[in-house]
Amino acid sequence: MPDTQAKQVVELGYGGNERLMMNMGPQHPSSHGVFRMILTLEGETVVGVDAVIGYLHRCHEKLGETLTYVQYPSIASKTDYVAAMTSELAYVSAVEKIARIDVPKRAQYLRVIAAELQRIASHCLWLGTWCLDMGGALGGGATVFLYAIREREMVLDRFEELTGARLLYGFHQVGGTRYDVPPGWETKVRETVDFIEQRIDEYEAMLEHNTFFRVRTQGVGVISRELAQDVGVSGPLIRGSGVNYDVRRAEPYSSYGDFDFVVPVETEGDCYARYRVRMVEFRQSIRIIRQALDGLPEGPISSRPGVKSVGQVRVPKGEGYARVEGARGEVGCYIISDGSPKPYRMKWRGASFSNLAVLPHIVPGHKVADVVAIMGSVDPVFGEVDR
Amino acid sequence: MTLPPVARAALGAFIVLNAIILLVTYATLLERKFAARMQSRIGPYYVGRPHGWLQPIADALKLMLKEDVVPAAADRGVYNLAPVVFLVPCMLIFATIPFAPELGVADLNIGVLFFLAVSSLEIVGLFMGGWGSNNKYALLSAMRAVNQIISYDLPFIFAALVPVLLAGSLQMSAIVAAQQGLWFAFYPVIGQLAFVAYLVATLAAENRVPFDILEAESELVAGFRVEYSGMKFALIQLGEYAHMLGTSFLGALLFLGGWLGPGPAWLGPLWFLAKAVLVFLVVTWVRWSFVRIRVDQILAISWKLLLPATLVLLLATGFVVATRGAGGG
Amino acid sequence: MAANGGRPALGFWRETAQLVGAVGRAMGITLRNLFRKPVTVHYPDVQRPYPDRFRGILALTYDPETGEENCIGCRLCEYVCPPQVIKVEMLKATKRNYAKTFTLELYACEFCELCVQVCPTDAIVMLKSFDLATADRRDLLLDKDRLHALGREFEPSWATGNRLRDMQAPPKPARAEAKVEAKVEAKGETKEPTE
Repeated sequence: MPDTQAKQVVELGYGGNERLMMNMGPQHPSSHGVFRMILTLEGETVVGVDAVIGYLHRCHEKLGETLTYVQYPSIASKTDYVAAMTSELAYVSAVEKIARIDVPKRAQYLRVIAAELQRIASHCLWLGTWCLDMGGALGGGATVFLYAIREREMVLDRFEELTGARLLYGFHQVGGTRYDVPPGWETKVRETVDFIEQRIDEYEAMLEHNTFFRVRTQGVGVISRELAQDVGVSGPLIRGSGVNYDVRRAEPYSSYGDFDFVVPVETEGDCYARYRVRMVEFRQSIRIIRQALDGLPEGPISSRPGVKSVGQVRVPKGEGYARVEGARGEVGCYIISDGSPKPYRMKWRGASFSNLAVLPHIVPGHKVADVVAIMGSVDPVFGEVDR
Repeated sequence: MTLPPVARAALGAFIVLNAIILLVTYATLLERKFAARMQSRIGPYYVGRPHGWLQPIADALKLMLKEDVVPAAADRGVYNLAPVVFLVPCMLIFATIPFAPELGVADLNIGVLFFLAVSSLEIVGLFMGGWGSNNKYALLSAMRAVNQIISYDLPFIFAALVPVLLAGSLQMSAIVAAQQGLWFAFYPVIGQLAFVAYLVATLAAENRVPFDILEAESELVAGFRVEYSGMKFALIQLGEYAHMLGTSFLGALLFLGGWLGPGPAWLGPLWFLAKAVLVFLVVTWVRWSFVRIRVDQILAISWKLLLPATLVLLLATGFVVATRGAGGG
Repeated sequence: MAANGGRPALGFWRETAQLVGAVGRAMGITLRNLFRKPVTVHYPDVQRPYPDRFRGILALTYDPETGEENCIGCRLCEYVCPPQVIKVEMLKATKRNYAKTFTLELYACEFCELCVQVCPTDAIVMLKSFDLATADRRDLLLDKDRLHALGREFEPSWATGNRLRDMQAPPKPARAEAKVEAKVEAKGETKEPTE
């Protein structure tokens, strides 16, 4: 028999002290994007993780220096492309902070509605792909995936009626939003939100007390409170580990202070806790949307005149950092401006980039199948990681 | 018609083999449509409108026309032989299943034993596939497969032995005949529990979710089959579904009364087919409803839960049969 | 069977009962979905109705009354386009300017609608169609004639430059309303009043 890889593997020993390095490579059905993990396995247990990123690097920060404040918001949505509204919001909030531009109340409420609808859509995708990873493309996971995507499609239809695009919107601009609501949209959003609320009950019935799901997620990927605070994770990861931190409460932006909602916190820190946090966030987002629709004021949607030329927005010299609560955590944008229509330097704080840093701490000790469950509950989007 | 027995057996085998291949191909279509409807979508639709009737034929043609790729560093002999070794036991099990009182290739008087023994031989082909592929993922999957299938064959056998004890014979037609009064699936407590245990063990022996850790498309990307394409993949797929249908037929025969049903005698095979399809659909229904569990949890369920449960069940059945025999004479 | 992550462990019978319940619930939901109507849209036999603001492929328009091209070759769209896919050459003439050449590389277009937004004459619009798949990328290098032909072939979306800018501008209520009304009347019945 030729000296095949298989023979080498067995000679290294199975279950003994010898180790096998396996690549959960950039092309893998459950790496949530292009992400390479070099796993060191002892038998079926992972003892080391080496994460390699950069496969989706598209020079966003350089693009931010070459595109003006008018052009970049449409590009900003491509960082976290699953939750595009919050990415754009971070950028325009940073610009508005430096230039001290006031955003009209109606625009703020529209931004909130868009962000929360986007959170629902993003969590639908999270739930679907997580169950797909755990349950197999030919199995129950695909069922939950298709249900979640079916609901996500409804939200995307609402966005399509609002902006014309389904995934990458270009909805925000400096000073407000670019589109106002079309007639009949508010009623449709209410119907959509009511419908999704019932369907969430169905997902919970399928998953919540399901023993198979629970044994797969409880006790897996525990992030302790200290670890979460040391590494700097944010979003559902830190709220699942017991720290009550939500940017919408810590530093309210875009009139989030007007709304009454609950920030879910769980203490166990395992995948199941993060699942519970996100499921509660579903319902709270629906609550916020209803409140925002009820209180949507009349008025302009932008405090600056409509964009007529590429260099229209000029920002005085200064620097500013704005952060928003994206679906994955704290998304931040830091801009240094020099008085011209383009930023001097733009830096993204990607939520998933910081969240991924926790992997080498929590993965070792688990089995290969748990790696997939953990990746799904961390829910990275590599547009944010690699930018 | 007085053919020599060898010719009659050969003719019977030929007919059954072709019928099973046809049935298996259309079972894939049935599963796809059923799963699709459960997921709010339509399954195959365009090939053979409007319900995709020609989809399995199209798939078979496509697989036959594909290039035969063998990995450069693969162990050629083992690699090429694995699909065959996998397929043959899965087809052979149909030899022992009688479709009507006198209609079967070989209604052995140790029918159930032969079935259970031969159906376990697929593991050899599976492991050969994983080894010969020279691929870490395939090998990992093959190792898991050996673990899992061996662990679940025991509860499978014990659950299948409960009807054997209740009927008092290993011969399949005798088992069906013993269900004239009451199907074993409805037999108080022991029959019902044995049926459930049988279904669970079938799920695991077939590598169906929630026990499909060996395929685990999202982790190991098709497991031991990852390096197979074209006709070899078709053979493996055929073998898997044939095994699936085979255990469905056995389940229908052992627990649901085989060909017994209202109506004239010639309707028997159709009832049998319907019951087997029902078992197949129930297994499919479970498959498309749950996420999978980890390999150590799968083995824990088998050794800590299912095996003791089926052992106790078998003991209880023995007790029931003994007291029934003593009382009834 | 597995560490519960610090949660209280239930007894054996309680766990079994929960398992049976969970299995029943999950299978019940899949069964319920078995009888729901599928959500599949049989594209391309059936087209999904496009919303008014759909951002599809781009096209150049003519003025409905005079039949003249709307584009004055001002190149504002060329400057604002983030991936720089538009290239325009101006042709100066007596009363107004035209575009001598207008190329749009649709294969690199981001469909962000910024060009539509800045156009002063509503010349470039997006259409309610995305169906322009070809086997040759050069077919997606749209020149001026192709853009005008597309404009005649498909229905344009609601958004034009002036409408978008009016929607975004802070209110000068009487003036804004008067402007919108004048435009709607001037454009007559060819553009559907979808506001």
